[in-house]
Amino acid sequence: MKEYKLLFTGTMGAGKTTAIHAISEIAPVVTDVRNSDKSVDKELTTVGLDYGMLSLDNGDRIRLFGTPGQARFDFLWKILARNALGIIILTDNSRPDPLADLTMFLDGFAEHLTSVPCAIGVGRLDSHPQPDLERYADLLEQRGQLFPIMAVDVRRRADVILLIDTLLAQLEAGIGEHRP
Amino acid sequence: MTAENSDLSRHFVEQARHSVTAFLREIVGVTAVVIATLDGFDLVSAFKGGADAARIAAMGSSISALGNVVALESGMGQSKSVIISAEAGFAVVHGARHGDVQLVINIMADGDAILAQVLHRAASVAKELSEMDFIAAGDDAGAGLHDIVA
Repeated sequence: MKEYKLLFTGTMGAGKTTAIHAISEIAPVVTDVRNSDKSVDKELTTVGLDYGMLSLDNGDRIRLFGTPGQARFDFLWKILARNALGIIILTDNSRPDPLADLTMFLDGFAEHLTSVPCAIGVGRLDSHPQPDLERYADLLEQRGQLFPIMAVDVRRRADVILLIDTLLAQLEAGIGEHRP
Repeated sequence: MTAENSDLSRHFVEQARHSVTAFLREIVGVTAVVIATLDGFDLVSAFKGGADAARIAAMGSSISALGNVVALESGMGQSKSVIISAEAGFAVVHGARHGDVQLVINIMADGDAILAQVLHRAASVAKELSEMDFIAAGDDAGAGLHDIVA
């Protein structure tokens, strides 16, 4: 049996906690508190970490970690990324500048993204079609990065599983050499 | 966070500032005191030398939340405080409340400080904060929180 550690990150409200809730087979560990930043319409926000567990059909297990989304918690990003075998970045297309949001996380995890695979899930694309996936791809291309990008609804287990499958496929293909 | 969207009154913030200043002045070895919201925004602070109140507030928020998870999952109820003992001092992250607003008192101390004394004072400040009259921000024009951070 293998164990993987995967990290969910992305902007506040992108659905990291929801995604882990959607697929975890244990009651997730959550560190949500009341959000006092009224510029963001959100009752609760994660200030520590999310944690869940998912077993695969072959018996392998995935430990799922989620980060806080706000840059003031970037000290935790590096801690939580240690030994992660893959990183999933979630964006919220209803925010004012989702590409800038993505850039912040690509920069924040730049060191890890040179050695571990990454997949990008774009949320609320149905209601907010711009920027479209092509513009996300253009951004990555300009940065010299090649990661799969897909529209997701993190409330749907199948969407979250697809993101994870995409990461695992990259791992099996040897994309990204993990450094323990 | 700005004055316009703060839940806390100017009156409260001024009293809280007085509390952290006295804490720093009166307890030997204390190098920084930061009162922050539970989600990691610094409200008032006092420190000796350099300190990044915003950073301390964010870290204290995470530590407080993780401590609370450990306490709850261990059947110990709500966490009251978390202590980090280091080679050259210690940090205390102590929960507090004002009205229905949960707060975190973050204290940094060097090797000259006495833990019990710091814990006692932190509990006293938490009690003070809880007993201050709660006035909604709009009722006294609100405080420019970041304008008055020490």
